[in-house]
Amino acid sequence: MTATTAADLRDRVRRALTRVMDPEIPTASIVDLGMVERVEVGDQAIEVDLLPTFVGCPAKDVIGEDAEAAVREAAGDREVRVRFVYDPPWTTERVTEKGKASLREYGISPHWEGGPPERAVVVPLLAKRAGVPCPYCGSDRTVTESSFGPTPCRAAHFCRACRNAFEGFKVK
Amino acid sequence: MPDVDPRLTLLLALADDELVIGHRHSEWTGWAPHLEEDLAFSSIAQDEIAHARVLLELAQPLAGRDVDELALGRSPGEYRHAVICERPNGHWGYTIARQYLYDTADDVRLEALEGSSDADLAAAVRTIRLEERYHVEHARIWFRRLAEGPVQAREHLSEGLEQAVPEALALFEELPDEGKLVEDGVLPSSMEKLLGVWLARLGADLESVSLDYVLSRHKRVGELVPTSSGEAEEGSTLEVPGLERRGDRWVHVGGFVGAGGRRGKHTEDFDALWEEMTMLYRAVPGATW
Repeated sequence: MTATTAADLRDRVRRALTRVMDPEIPTASIVDLGMVERVEVGDQAIEVDLLPTFVGCPAKDVIGEDAEAAVREAAGDREVRVRFVYDPPWTTERVTEKGKASLREYGISPHWEGGPPERAVVVPLLAKRAGVPCPYCGSDRTVTESSFGPTPCRAAHFCRACRNAFEGFKVK
Repeated sequence: MPDVDPRLTLLLALADDELVIGHRHSEWTGWAPHLEEDLAFSSIAQDEIAHARVLLELAQPLAGRDVDELALGRSPGEYRHAVICERPNGHWGYTIARQYLYDTADDVRLEALEGSSDADLAAAVRTIRLEERYHVEHARIWFRRLAEGPVQAREHLSEGLEQAVPEALALFEELPDEGKLVEDGVLPSSMEKLLGVWLARLGADLESVSLDYVLSRHKRVGELVPTSSGEAEEGSTLEVPGLERRGDRWVHVGGFVGAGGRRGKHTEDFDALWEEMTMLYRAVPGATW
């Protein structure tokens, strides 16, 4: 076997993980979403700790399997152990610049850039005037229609300027 | 009975509340009054059941049983949730009243548990609480919407609150061996103290929409289980569930109504829920997909 240093292998594993996409946001890798917490290359085994965006994420199992397969390909004959941990909690702050761009590309607003959620004004109807920037036209004439969208981590918004429905990550 | 680690008692109480109310919330899937609420309750259910899983993972080594067995393989009397969590959804007013009471109460105990001396529990709770914020927000928006909505909406909410408030108090029923948990800092504050914190917030919320009468008058519901202090006795008048307004805040002075959940005492409502929730596990133990 050619001498591969732990550092080389670590890089290879990291690169392999950048090719693992969130099955519910196919433009975004789990690295760019800030889900990779720890990569440990040992003599015998490679350990990867992942953070779920939401604890009840139904894509968690698929992501874990995909990550394990990707790492195994890079790992040679070392054992691979991938697991989900809850400490530290995943937060929206962990999403990288590249991750934000890939969210926008998929029509999801990385809106926490715009400021803390305290800007939201709760009105008697369910919709909140939240000013979450629209990923399509950039307007902030938007309302949050519901904090509960198609997946646990996403909320449903509507843009009054371009009349598009869009999604945004829930700020965590 | 062998000695039970008090941490297990606490974890099961927390996990079972989430599991059972999560199951009830999931019953709105496909039936809620509109699509957004169908998604909201489905999503909240998904969160709650996932939180139960995280807590049961912590309970595994203490119980000597794995997560699935703990969630689905126990007999009804082994579950430790408060009775309020097992009640059927009823009408929309009850559903919102119960979700509002449960999630605001849950927030009070999670806030305390973030400071638990049990590092694993504190870490799990920090993660869980970031998600629970959205449940509290949902409950508050609907609480206000119904309270300030048309007369019929307000009536449904107040009916729901009358029914749910007495049983919601029992979310803070004293745990067996609670003294040890408090002494060790696993539970940083006694349940009685946490109830006080919640009641002060609840009282203020209810007064802001002039519905605080539900704290002093309510319908008789369910069977009565006296607390160990014996203050809520079967057959006694239920006009005041041990709540009084003193000074400028509501305080708890008496026993609980409908308590006993923490000791495995449940109602017929749970039998039906348990049957359905555990049906697959009982039919095909160890099934996967």
